[in-house]
Amino acid sequence: MEFFKQFAVPNPTPTIYLSMVAIGLTLIAVLAGITYFKKWGYLWSEWLTTVDHKRIGIMYLISALLMLFRGGVDALMMRAQTSMPGNELLSAAEYNEIFTTHGVVMIFFMAMAFITALMNFVVPLQIGARDVAFPRLNALSFWLYFMGAMLFNLSFVIGGSPSSGWTSYFPLAGNELSPHIGTNYYMIALQIAGLGTLITGINFIVTIFKMRAPGMKLMKMPLFTWSALITNLLITFAFPVLTVALAMGTMDRLFGTHFFTMDNGGMAMLWANFFWVWGHPEVYILVLPAFGIYSEVISTFSKRNLYGYTSMVVAIVVISTLAFLVWVHHFFTMGQGALVNSIFSITTMAIAIPTGIKIFNWLFTMWKGKIQFTVPMLYSLGFIPIFTIGGVTGVMLGIASADYQYHNTMFLVAHFHIVIIPGVVFAMLAGMTYWWPKMFGFMLNEKIGKWAFWNIAIGTCLAFFPMFISGLDGQARRMYTYSEVAGFGIWNLLSFFGALGLAMGFILIVFNVYYSARYATRDIGDDPWDARTLEWATRTPVPEYNFAVTPQVDSREPFWDSKYEGKTLFKEEIKDIHMPNNSGQPFIMAAFFFVAGFGLVFSLWPVVYVAAAGIAVLLFIRSFEQDDGRHIHEQEIRDTENDKRGETR
Amino acid sequence: MRELFPAKQVTGFVASLALTVIALLVYFLDMSFTVGMVVLLLTAFTQAGLQLVVFMHAGESPDSDSIYLNTYYGIFIALAIVFGSLLAMVWGY
Amino acid sequence: MSTEHSTPMEYSTETNALNIIGFWVFIGAEIALFATLFATYFIMEGRIADGPSGGQLFVISTLMIQTFVLLTSSFTIGLGVNAMRLGRKGATLTFLAITLVLGAGFVGVEIYEFYEYVHEGLSLQTSAFSAGLFTLLGTHGAHVSFGLFWGAGIIVQIVKHGFTPRTANKTFIFSLYWHFLDVVWIFIFSFVYLKGMM
Repeated sequence: MEFFKQFAVPNPTPTIYLSMVAIGLTLIAVLAGITYFKKWGYLWSEWLTTVDHKRIGIMYLISALLMLFRGGVDALMMRAQTSMPGNELLSAAEYNEIFTTHGVVMIFFMAMAFITALMNFVVPLQIGARDVAFPRLNALSFWLYFMGAMLFNLSFVIGGSPSSGWTSYFPLAGNELSPHIGTNYYMIALQIAGLGTLITGINFIVTIFKMRAPGMKLMKMPLFTWSALITNLLITFAFPVLTVALAMGTMDRLFGTHFFTMDNGGMAMLWANFFWVWGHPEVYILVLPAFGIYSEVISTFSKRNLYGYTSMVVAIVVISTLAFLVWVHHFFTMGQGALVNSIFSITTMAIAIPTGIKIFNWLFTMWKGKIQFTVPMLYSLGFIPIFTIGGVTGVMLGIASADYQYHNTMFLVAHFHIVIIPGVVFAMLAGMTYWWPKMFGFMLNEKIGKWAFWNIAIGTCLAFFPMFISGLDGQARRMYTYSEVAGFGIWNLLSFFGALGLAMGFILIVFNVYYSARYATRDIGDDPWDARTLEWATRTPVPEYNFAVTPQVDSREPFWDSKYEGKTLFKEEIKDIHMPNNSGQPFIMAAFFFVAGFGLVFSLWPVVYVAAAGIAVLLFIRSFEQDDGRHIHEQEIRDTENDKRGETR
Repeated sequence: MRELFPAKQVTGFVASLALTVIALLVYFLDMSFTVGMVVLLLTAFTQAGLQLVVFMHAGESPDSDSIYLNTYYGIFIALAIVFGSLLAMVWGY
Repeated sequence: MSTEHSTPMEYSTETNALNIIGFWVFIGAEIALFATLFATYFIMEGRIADGPSGGQLFVISTLMIQTFVLLTSSFTIGLGVNAMRLGRKGATLTFLAITLVLGAGFVGVEIYEFYEYVHEGLSLQTSAFSAGLFTLLGTHGAHVSFGLFWGAGIIVQIVKHGFTPRTANKTFIFSLYWHFLDVVWIFIFSFVYLKGMM
């Protein structure tokens, strides 16, 4: 009995018990459903073992949407709690847990997964490749991310959630002030998911460097691919910093080292330093793919080629170096001298320049274009003004001396949400709607989509603009309540209504998926948006080999030119195609990581040893494996290509 | 037998031993901290470059441009992390 | 070298070329990882609490042995790749085996050294300095130890299959890994030990 006590949740409430029951029942229902419909074989052979970048992308997408709802419910609870002064919906401890998990889930498990989903699905198609460079590793990336996310979410019902903020600053996150195991979950789940992300980074750099279609020089790549390249470069060089910081935090908590402690020479500020050495590039890891999506969408729906392609590329390359030189602006108030703060203040403001260049390029692309107000385009149009306000307040925060006033107030919270929601969430929704027909073979309903957009856009403004005011009035972030005389009540109430609007928008999106899956026509052809880049030159839905014949590229918009300039994309004859085999190893290895992680959280060493041994054995099996993949026969390809509504190429 | 010990590799090895001996002088001779650090910086980075070019064959791959670019970027990031952190946490604090 | 003008076997297939550039990108990530560990060590260097400092602990003799052993192993793995390109299986295996023996010797000396440190009152929990030192050295040592298993696996595969594009590729990538660990050691040697003893 004593053994099981460690798994109990420290602040149990009826909500948590209800969730436990709900999670248990859902799990049983899902497992029973799969068994009843005899889908285990299908699930295993088509999804759990797949190495196809398109299926992995779709699995990332589903996971990201699930996590969006988990993080979204956290957000609603926070806004409900603070909607009135002295509210007692949540206790202080619960509120701490919820703002922590909201941040972690949204950044690591929603936003990261969402960009990885779109990069996985789109990048190989955009460069005319058959798959990514390392398909097996790609599957491992996904499963590590997925197991990390599951381990983190497990904290809600087993052992208790972390509660020291998504930044998990020491000494608060240390053993003395966070004695419960919640923060162990943070350290270890992020370590596992981060490893998956790092592997994605390496994989996509090599894919984009080496697997482009013949003729696609670097300066002929679509901008989404360019932004994916730079994002993965940032991932590859920033995530190791997080790996080390998390490892040191774990050692402090589990082995009693003194990296970030208050005694024996430990330096708590070093955690903040390394967290943001990773954390600021992370901001650009999230926002660059979004910029890439906007470039594609705005150009497609303005019916014009992108204005200032070269300056767009230069801007993201400049961002890739500046992103590593601004991190101190996250802790101007920590006590560094004026010289340090000035240096980082200047680099911070400098990074607004390339960002501004991009904004103007999008505006000039639309200038004199024939704009079509589709859902993806609406998100792009909504993004520009809202994001610019967010960016300008960022420059305000970047003024080190003034930051002493804004730091850790709701002003900051308003700033980064106003940046990250249009900058990432709008882009992901735009990208999802834009590429949805390629993924699933039908289009999302435009009318419901527009309703969702307006709910989300207005909801965002209503939820976060009031925080600028209450923040300047002095409302600190992460406070679970405030007194009536503070006068913050009205602003927080408005925020709550905004949050409800956002929730409504997301519910509409779910309804849209259901409605369109049920009623939308499947007869949409291969290119429903009249788009410009190579991914639209594939069949819908995309066959597993992507392109029957590798395309030949000689411009930035090869597909558009093949449609309207009469150029030929596919010059060669259909030949046998070499494809990698499916494998269960990535899933099994990630499952071992999950078990090892769980063992580490609770210091159950035998469990850790067994799981680590399992990982080692799998590494050896992989090394000794002789798997040369398989070939899809020429005739089979012809049949597949002809099956698609009887057309021949 | 000779072909198993090509001149390039042997020279590289001898050079790396020589650089190590020079670095060790920092300990054996009575140098000031500044002079010592300059010596160490020079020997360490030369030694690293030697390994990169002579032993790791960085230049011979068909993708040597990408490899060099990647390595330079890595060095830039490494310097930013080390000196930036020292600046923020120690020197400029 | 006869291989200057034709593509060596380790690059011969498309997968092989991808593997090699992929490993270079991974080395880039490792550079960032070790840079963070070095930054930690430099910041923690003077934070010794009640424990001993680096200057009191470091011993020049073990340092010289470790450095010589690792530099030599880097040389022998280079010779191994050269022998592989000449198609000399026996020589390649011999050089690989020497490399691993030297690597094992390095790890052995490092373990002895850690044992001595603990004996002199510097455990992992003693101070911020000890945490930074053991983590930096330990991460490097763990990489070398992992390399021992990896290299052994490659030897078995060469014995079993001879030189194929697959085994040649693995051997070459292993050599990149080993040289990189040597580079990291050069920085540890210079900026942890010699700087600490100066």
